Amino acid sequence: MSWRLIKAILLVEDSPGDARLISEMLDEQGSRSIELTNVDCMSAAEKHLAERAVDIILLDPGLPDAQGLGAIRRAHAAAPRIPLVVITGLDDESLAEQALQEGAQDYLIKGQIEQRALLRALRYATERKRLERLKDEFVSTVSHELRTPLTSISGSLGLLMGNAIGNLPGPMARLLAIAHTNSQRLVRLVDDILDIEKMEAGRVVFNFSRVEVQPLVEQAIEANRGFAEGYGVRVRLEAARAAAEVRADPDRLLQVVTNLLSNAIKFSPTDGEVAVAIEKGPDAVRLTVRDHGPGIPVDFKPLIFEKFAQADAGVARQKGGTGLGLSIVKQIVERLGGEVGFADAPGGGAIFHVQLPCWDHVAGLATDREAKPGAARLLLCEDDLDTALTLREQLRQAGFATDFAYSVGDALTRAAATQYHAILVDIHLPDGDGVSLIVRLRQMPQYRDTPIVVVSGDTSRGRDDLRASKLDIIDWLNKPVDLDRLVRLLAKPVAHEASRRPRILHVDEDNAVARALGEIGDVVTVSSIEEAQCALKVGDFDLAVLDVAIAKAASPDLLPELRDSKGNVIPVVVFSADGLDLASDARVQAAQAKSHTSIDSLVATVRDRLASRLASVPREIA
Amino acid sequence: MTSIRILLVDDEPDIREVVDVSLGLDRDFSTRACATGADALVTAAEWSPALILLDVMMPLMDGPATLANLRKNPRTAHIPVLFLTARTQSEEITQYISLGALGVLSKPFDPMTLAASVRSYLPPSAGDHAS
Repeated sequence: MSWRLIKAILLVEDSPGDARLISEMLDEQGSRSIELTNVDCMSAAEKHLAERAVDIILLDPGLPDAQGLGAIRRAHAAAPRIPLVVITGLDDESLAEQALQEGAQDYLIKGQIEQRALLRALRYATERKRLERLKDEFVSTVSHELRTPLTSISGSLGLLMGNAIGNLPGPMARLLAIAHTNSQRLVRLVDDILDIEKMEAGRVVFNFSRVEVQPLVEQAIEANRGFAEGYGVRVRLEAARAAAEVRADPDRLLQVVTNLLSNAIKFSPTDGEVAVAIEKGPDAVRLTVRDHGPGIPVDFKPLIFEKFAQADAGVARQKGGTGLGLSIVKQIVERLGGEVGFADAPGGGAIFHVQLPCWDHVAGLATDREAKPGAARLLLCEDDLDTALTLREQLRQAGFATDFAYSVGDALTRAAATQYHAILVDIHLPDGDGVSLIVRLRQMPQYRDTPIVVVSGDTSRGRDDLRASKLDIIDWLNKPVDLDRLVRLLAKPVAHEASRRPRILHVDEDNAVARALGEIGDVVTVSSIEEAQCALKVGDFDLAVLDVAIAKAASPDLLPELRDSKGNVIPVVVFSADGLDLASDARVQAAQAKSHTSIDSLVATVRDRLASRLASVPREIA
Repeated sequence: MTSIRILLVDDEPDIREVVDVSLGLDRDFSTRACATGADALVTAAEWSPALILLDVMMPLMDGPATLANLRKNPRTAHIPVLFLTARTQSEEITQYISLGALGVLSKPFDPMTLAASVRSYLPPSAGDHAS
């Protein structure tokens, strides 16, 4: 490695003395070609990263506007692809360790930084980041290469099994069902490999929904039946007395149960029994898996959830384990907001338990019941409960009530039932992406002009495109959310509504008219009926201005088409060279004769029609 | 009721066939398929589909480049595009959306529900007065 790869360093450090020290160390190195920029707060760092190319970030996470892990997360979110070296004070090794988990490549300890260590950290961090990127690309590429043939295989089998081509004879259907089930299993396997990789890097997306535990456990038992029979082990399920529902990602939870079962089966004696039980408590559901194996050796207990940990390497190999199963279980359960543990079973063997929050408990949290009466109510579409609860608490201080929607479906139901003041949307939701949610919200008349703010844990790429799109998003905030900015945004939604520019569809070839209309709204000018029809399919308009020559040629074909995507009729102003023969049509709101009307007069008419329409949106005009 | 035109662009002939059958489960859809981005640009301009299903990884002109070219032509600029891709890590999805795609459908897909997923991205009135 050489300095070739490091040309621009961003030093985020609010102590001028410390900043000078680092600057001098780099200067002494004779690496004058390196450009070192020092900023003293996180917002300045974010601004710099958005505008300038940086090869590495040196971050002191004790800043006026961001501290500790929060600062590290923000730096990482602002530039996920840039290597990050954290400068920790006071020998805070625990923060340093967490920093590495949050995406930092290395850390230095303040007061102990010397030149060689600094240079080495910079070079190693750069190299580590490069390797990380290569590994990501490799995993992603391999996964794609495997998925492409799997798409054709599972797609074809799925069509056959769905009887899309006709009914199948019994024996053929059974064999195809085996092929279909296994092709899907292979798809999941490819996904799992990618997941292990991503889980390690902390980049797994969890899709939370309402999950009934018993059918899911039965599914896992069924899937492991062959495996259990191979070991001569029976699996018995003691069902809960009441329906036990949790809030979880069903695929991940299935992965947890499957891993616990296969673990218990592997360590059971022949003819042994694995007992699975589901118990429902007031706030949580507890799932236990008990085996009658040798139990967990005392020495091994502290290591059991460690990656690649195996009590007896020889035994584990013989059992076909990878040493990853329980580690994956723990990582998933923690992300599901639950806990996992184990104990010695009375009479020998081991009991593993997983405890997850009850659906009722989580669903009960969705409506904000503790806010001040009369507080403006917001809808937060976010599937991570911890994030949602934190944001609710902060917004409550600012005088807002915040309801939660954990999925796109949930959000649409809630939005239809309650008129929200503003909606905050996470881009990642379990049953669809946030963008499609926004598309659907905008199709609801009552949310046409409601402020929508995107809250994303992802990179800010795409932000400007979304802002500029017709979805009319008022802002895009990265997590963790800058609360002051959010509150400022929410404080002026009415101003936003009033300032929305009307959208005018202009069907004409007259540039002067287009320019004049541009003064009062966003104008889409098309020169033919076909183009007008296309424009109506993808965008909503408040009003259409038609040249009569085109309208005449089109009528009666065009006028019935002039509806927005919600089916509302769009008022039409006809601009004609001579007669007003179309003015008698109920759909035509006003007709202006080109020959004896100036463009100014047309603009005045359009302005007038828009004012009456926007004041009463949405309504049928015809 | 006229048919809703869906243009599929994928370099894999097998996938084209599976998608064609899957979309055929919705009787309102009429599907055409192109093997390259270049073909897609021509077909989209001539045929004016209601929606384009676009693969990402294709030789010569990949999905994002095809989308950019569609947007440059006034005849195709407005046509909504859904990516149909095996590359669906969260970062990748954000990137596709930022390019102007309406959404992302992942491969492998469920062939029995693909048509319904595609339809959910079309305006509710699609099919009533499609050209």
